[in-house]
Amino acid sequence: MLINVENLKLSLNGVSILQDVQLHVAPNQIYGLIGPNGAGKSTTIAVVLGLYAADSGKLELFGKATEKTSADVRRRIGVMPEHAGFYDWMSACDYLAWHANLYGGPRRAIPELLAQVGLEQAGRCPIGRFSQGMRQRLALARALAHGPELLILDEPTNGLDPRGRREIHDLFLSLAREQGVGILLCTHLLDDVDRLCSRIGIIHHGCTVLEGPLAELLGRHGAGGVYRLRLDNVPDAGAMPKEMEMEDRGNGWWCVRLPTDTNPADLWQRLLEHGWRIREIRAEGGGLEDLYIRMTHAAVESRQEGTV
Amino acid sequence: MSNPIGLIAAKERRALLENQRGLAWLLAFSATLSAFALLLVSNTELSLLDNAQVVYLMVGTVTAAGAVIAVILGSDAFAGERERGTLVPLLTAPITPAQLLTGKAAGLLAAWGVMYVLALPYLWAVGAGGQNLLQAVVYLALFGTPVVLGFGYMAMTLSAWTGGVMTSLVGSLIALLFSIGPLFLDPSLRDSAVGRALDMVNPFAGAINTYDAVIVDSETFSPQLPRLALVVIWLGLMLLAARHAARKPCFR
Repeated sequence: MLINVENLKLSLNGVSILQDVQLHVAPNQIYGLIGPNGAGKSTTIAVVLGLYAADSGKLELFGKATEKTSADVRRRIGVMPEHAGFYDWMSACDYLAWHANLYGGPRRAIPELLAQVGLEQAGRCPIGRFSQGMRQRLALARALAHGPELLILDEPTNGLDPRGRREIHDLFLSLAREQGVGILLCTHLLDDVDRLCSRIGIIHHGCTVLEGPLAELLGRHGAGGVYRLRLDNVPDAGAMPKEMEMEDRGNGWWCVRLPTDTNPADLWQRLLEHGWRIREIRAEGGGLEDLYIRMTHAAVESRQEGTV
Repeated sequence: MSNPIGLIAAKERRALLENQRGLAWLLAFSATLSAFALLLVSNTELSLLDNAQVVYLMVGTVTAAGAVIAVILGSDAFAGERERGTLVPLLTAPITPAQLLTGKAAGLLAAWGVMYVLALPYLWAVGAGGQNLLQAVVYLALFGTPVVLGFGYMAMTLSAWTGGVMTSLVGSLIALLFSIGPLFLDPSLRDSAVGRALDMVNPFAGAINTYDAVIVDSETFSPQLPRLALVVIWLGLMLLAARHAARKPCFR
């Protein structure tokens, strides 16, 4: 296990920030740490990185308990903070070389690194001229420069255009699958998590409200996809497949929920074969988004009940 | 080169010498010295000062300017990195807080070194042919360096604690003004018990009084030892405060 966090608690200036956080990141795995703004995601990362000392709980990095993150441990971690700052007067090449040298030991070739993040043409430009998207890419290159085994990325796709986002997604998948890098991805972009992560943790008000393999969680909590169908005919209620759960209907639209183990394309095909005249289908969230909303909402309700 | 202290010091030096802002500070420093030197030699009243007094004034001015630059650079050391978003990458790199602080201080010393070298031709221009020019150069290094570095460490402490450049800059400049201010008191007030007590704890006064003693009054080294102890203790205390603050700097 690259990161093993259990029952982590942290107070700052007398205010409880983290109350019960769990986090388990393994090699080859992309772990999505999600939660509303202010839930404690970035603070959790700060504790893992040794920037804050936890009040209590277990924190293991690379299988070893750590109260204070040592230099050797830091050499094995690549960090991309939420705010990607640089020395704007330096060129990208100079900056990456300088930063990688701080880590000592072997470092990756800078041109190869820049090519990997799509900045091969910008290596000699002063960073001050970079766009927001280019700065995000450079921040990722910085995190990768010393060849880490664990990447900790806070909102890594902020400011990237859709194509750039897709390229960075592919890079993350390749790092995890082909190079065995473990990635802790802290984000509020559920699309990113849905596409990349095999394991997630939902954190809310400093507590982990749900953690585990994404597919298993979606299955266990019945958070299948939600779709809106526009129909030209109105089928009998009894003709509705048993795996399709009606959420809402009206004005020719049916809003239905599908379980996670159902392939929507197969189901639509079956419906068409049974005489359903489906004119339009729209995905309406569901899946991870639905699970996220429900879990964070449940956490709010349980807190409110606790205070009444 | 993979020594973290050297890498950070080199970055600081480059920021000063390759960055427009750093060059602007040095240009401003040169312009100040030029204007002051011109005033000393051309003003009808100031030109009546003897050669040693002119050198003494120039050395005091260089120390004050060095302390101001140290406060500016020190205020930027942690808070500037935080505001630029470059502090977290430094704090999560495999370097210790002491190494980070030492690298920053080395950058500050490099800035002071450049200022010192820039001041030499001015000192020579206003003091050539007069007495004690060599003492001025030596004592500027001996007393000016711990005073300047001490103010730099003080600014770094505030910078790490507050996380705001403006807050630490204003706080440090106020402290510097409190240190320089008593020197402008009337000589009778400075000779009073309170004035002497202030001089005994004021590092800036320690340096200025030493310049006065060795450049104008041609005193030897031995009587300056208590004041040397004062500026060294000042430097030590500020270093301890900075090391403490650098362990847990404000980073968010």
